[in-house]
Amino acid sequence: MLRFVARRTLSALLILLVISALTFALFYVAPRDPARTACGKLCTPQTLALVRHNLGIDDPLPVQYWHWLTALFVGRDYTGLGRCPAPCLGYSFTNHEPVLGLITDRFPTTLSLSLGSAVVFVLFGVGTGMVAAVRQGRALDKIASSASLVGSSLQIYIVGVVAMYYLSDQWRLLPRPTDAVGFTQDPAAWFKGLLLPWLVLALIFTANYTRMTRSQLVETLAEDYVRTARAKGLGRRTVFFRYAWRGAMGPIVTILGLDLGYLLGGAIITEETFGLHGIGALSIKAVRDNDLPLLLGVVLVAATAIVVANIVVDAVYAVIDPRIRLA
Amino acid sequence: MSISRRNFVIAGSVAAAGGSLVLSACSSGGGGGGAQGGSAASATYSKVTVGTAKDSTGPAPQVPGARKGGTIHALGPDDFSHLDPQRIYFAWNSTVANLYVRCLTGYRIAPNGSMKLVGDLATDTGTMTDGGRTWTFTLKDGLKWEDGSELTVEDVRHGIERGFASFTTEGATYVQTWLTGSTDFRSLYKGPYGGKHLDSVVTDTAKKTITFHLKTARPDLDWALAMHSYGAVPVAHDSKEKYDKDPVSCGPYRIKQHSVDKSMTLVRNTHWDPATDPIRTAYPDSVVFEFGPEALQATDRLIADSGTDQYAVMAYSGVPAERIQKVIGTPDLQNRTVNGLLTGLYYYAINCRRIKDVKVRQALNHAWPLEQIRSIYGGPSAGDYATTILSPDIAGRVKFDVYGKLRNPRGDTAKAKSLLKAAGKLGQKIVYTYPQGGNDAYDKTKVVIVNALKEAGFDPVVKPVESTSYYDQVGQIDNTFDVMWYGWSPDWPAAYTLIQPLFDGATIADNAPNVSQLNVGWVNSAIKKDAGVTDTVKQEAAWAALDKEIMAKEAPIIPETYQRRYYLYGTKVGGAQFDPLFSAFLVYKLYAKS
Repeated sequence: MLRFVARRTLSALLILLVISALTFALFYVAPRDPARTACGKLCTPQTLALVRHNLGIDDPLPVQYWHWLTALFVGRDYTGLGRCPAPCLGYSFTNHEPVLGLITDRFPTTLSLSLGSAVVFVLFGVGTGMVAAVRQGRALDKIASSASLVGSSLQIYIVGVVAMYYLSDQWRLLPRPTDAVGFTQDPAAWFKGLLLPWLVLALIFTANYTRMTRSQLVETLAEDYVRTARAKGLGRRTVFFRYAWRGAMGPIVTILGLDLGYLLGGAIITEETFGLHGIGALSIKAVRDNDLPLLLGVVLVAATAIVVANIVVDAVYAVIDPRIRLA
Repeated sequence: MSISRRNFVIAGSVAAAGGSLVLSACSSGGGGGGAQGGSAASATYSKVTVGTAKDSTGPAPQVPGARKGGTIHALGPDDFSHLDPQRIYFAWNSTVANLYVRCLTGYRIAPNGSMKLVGDLATDTGTMTDGGRTWTFTLKDGLKWEDGSELTVEDVRHGIERGFASFTTEGATYVQTWLTGSTDFRSLYKGPYGGKHLDSVVTDTAKKTITFHLKTARPDLDWALAMHSYGAVPVAHDSKEKYDKDPVSCGPYRIKQHSVDKSMTLVRNTHWDPATDPIRTAYPDSVVFEFGPEALQATDRLIADSGTDQYAVMAYSGVPAERIQKVIGTPDLQNRTVNGLLTGLYYYAINCRRIKDVKVRQALNHAWPLEQIRSIYGGPSAGDYATTILSPDIAGRVKFDVYGKLRNPRGDTAKAKSLLKAAGKLGQKIVYTYPQGGNDAYDKTKVVIVNALKEAGFDPVVKPVESTSYYDQVGQIDNTFDVMWYGWSPDWPAAYTLIQPLFDGATIADNAPNVSQLNVGWVNSAIKKDAGVTDTVKQEAAWAALDKEIMAKEAPIIPETYQRRYYLYGTKVGGAQFDPLFSAFLVYKLYAKS
């Protein structure tokens, strides 16, 4: 197991290195100049050169990348702005903050949004899928299957806006989404503020889990080893949970891991729809502001979330299903 | 997405949405304020005037029925990009700067939207001598910073000198250029941090005076100094680059809390004395900005009007096209709006380097389908047709209609065709470009533009440019476009700030705003001559005449619209008024109803 984790961590670091270099290069391929924004209305060539120097983009590209890379390990001094200690992801001149500070400031919202919605969609999705599998072919199964088909074809930017308009503004059943209050400050206000985004996200994600759980369980319940368990005279519950359910959960865990990785990397559309301030909204801001250091930071966070999620999924998979060996 | 923080031209995204930011510079105007509903034609334009020393004394005229206390909330999609006055140029930054930055001069805005330039920190709008080359201002008594220390002439000078520092590249550059006589002013003076002061700015601590010695006559220095880029900064508390995060207030509010891109809370600056301030009233105890809600979300929240949103206003993004009809068509909502014209002009720049024949440029003006374009933007509520270079808010502007666009806003393609024929240019290829990706309205208007041009005998070719690099590309001298969508906002309500940057041949350069690349001897000399006229009335008349002459004889642009924006506010907000300067609410006049 230890070897597996060490090997995967090494390859993850390599992937992140490649991603950061690619992001760096791609940013400069785009035909736009980050210096122009800070160059004033009547921009002169002299001022433009000064801004480029201030932003540290007057060095050759490999030198800039090297500065960025070394800052990660040893930190970096920014003239007039002080020291950015290691691990320094750079300084966002647009936001007047070190990139790491901006990301850690936004991460609680992303974490709350991801985990909160995951709890809802896993509970409902897996639960409904289980009921549908048990009641296979009956009315409940048909309703759950059709509802999940509708759910999976919904889009957050439509459902979110409609839900906010009716549930919050018109009928006032749920409070308007906000991430102004953190969990540690006031758990009740935190819960109320994020309830609607959780429900909307869950509505869309639940569908996948319902369908996946149902089909996996239906398949597993027909497996020989389940039939053998039944033939042995084991109770229905024991057969279902200890044999069938456990066997069916492998693919679900894989999907959950990837979904979580995706959500932790920043749910751009969700955050924009609900006006939340997470990593997703930050990445849009970075693109809009031509803010390379911030863009690199959020891309790395998203990539790390997905890479780590993959490692965790692989490890958990092995625990759930002993047939898998971590070779 | 509503914005692209590019350049200081008016953002490409603004036009049809009416719900995004004006990315223009500080500017001015006297647009039709108040809740006038959808009657765009009812807007009146008040003359901008220069006030007296009496006008410059505080306190500011009170808003009838206003009460002190409470909190006003303001919803906006994005955080302010700069708080350091010397780095402020964008209009939306000035919305908040109004609350904590003060300059030598400022604008006192009457309830009808008319404006007076008055002394803000200064006792009046200054004394001009030497034909406009020397200006002297005297500071008021009782001016203090938020820590209670006195605001001195050295602090005012410090604000001017900081404009030369290497880190204040975003701000205005007019005064620096006039003081040194060079656009490369940073090579001549590097700011106050080496302990050296500008020779051309002289202070007298005892008399509380500050004197500017300019290299050229500038009868409009008093206007330029009202820009937040020339706000005072305390010498004792200047943290240089870091000042952008933590500026010191001399206005009615100070920044208490700021969470980047999330929220900002301003509370009373107890050391601000209303008796020194002829402009700001400051009724609420605090003002809270919430960043994040896009225009549509903010509008829906204010329509719903629940909780603290009853005390909220749209900070600087207006009611978007999707909701405008609902808002102006519902009396309860319409009563909760203010509207006004954005400062400046939206237009189509004709590349005079490529389209050399004036007749072709005139034909383009005749053919252009303004009515069809405006109806795509949302009809009359989206703005008024433009026919002049100077926008209605410019002092001395005279309305004219050389190409009959008000009589026939659909365009006169027959007239255009005859002109084209006379020039022997039937079938002339026209490469038209606009920013693509920020706002789909331009994708829609291209159709009516192409149809009109074809009907007039042109051969239109549409080449949109991705919105984030649009201004870089059309800003290149050797670009290959013939007609380019564009916008420009003045920095103070004088014709100079529109006509000089846009049509002075000497300014042609890569990324310079003269994208028409008009370089005509008589225009260049007229600009130079008019700028030096010290008599305000004569100067205004000269600019207005030049405006008409340029359009008639050179036709370097096709004026499009003076755009209108609507803002919504909660039921418990009082004192709502459109800010003709920065095209948003006058936050310092708002009050929270009990």
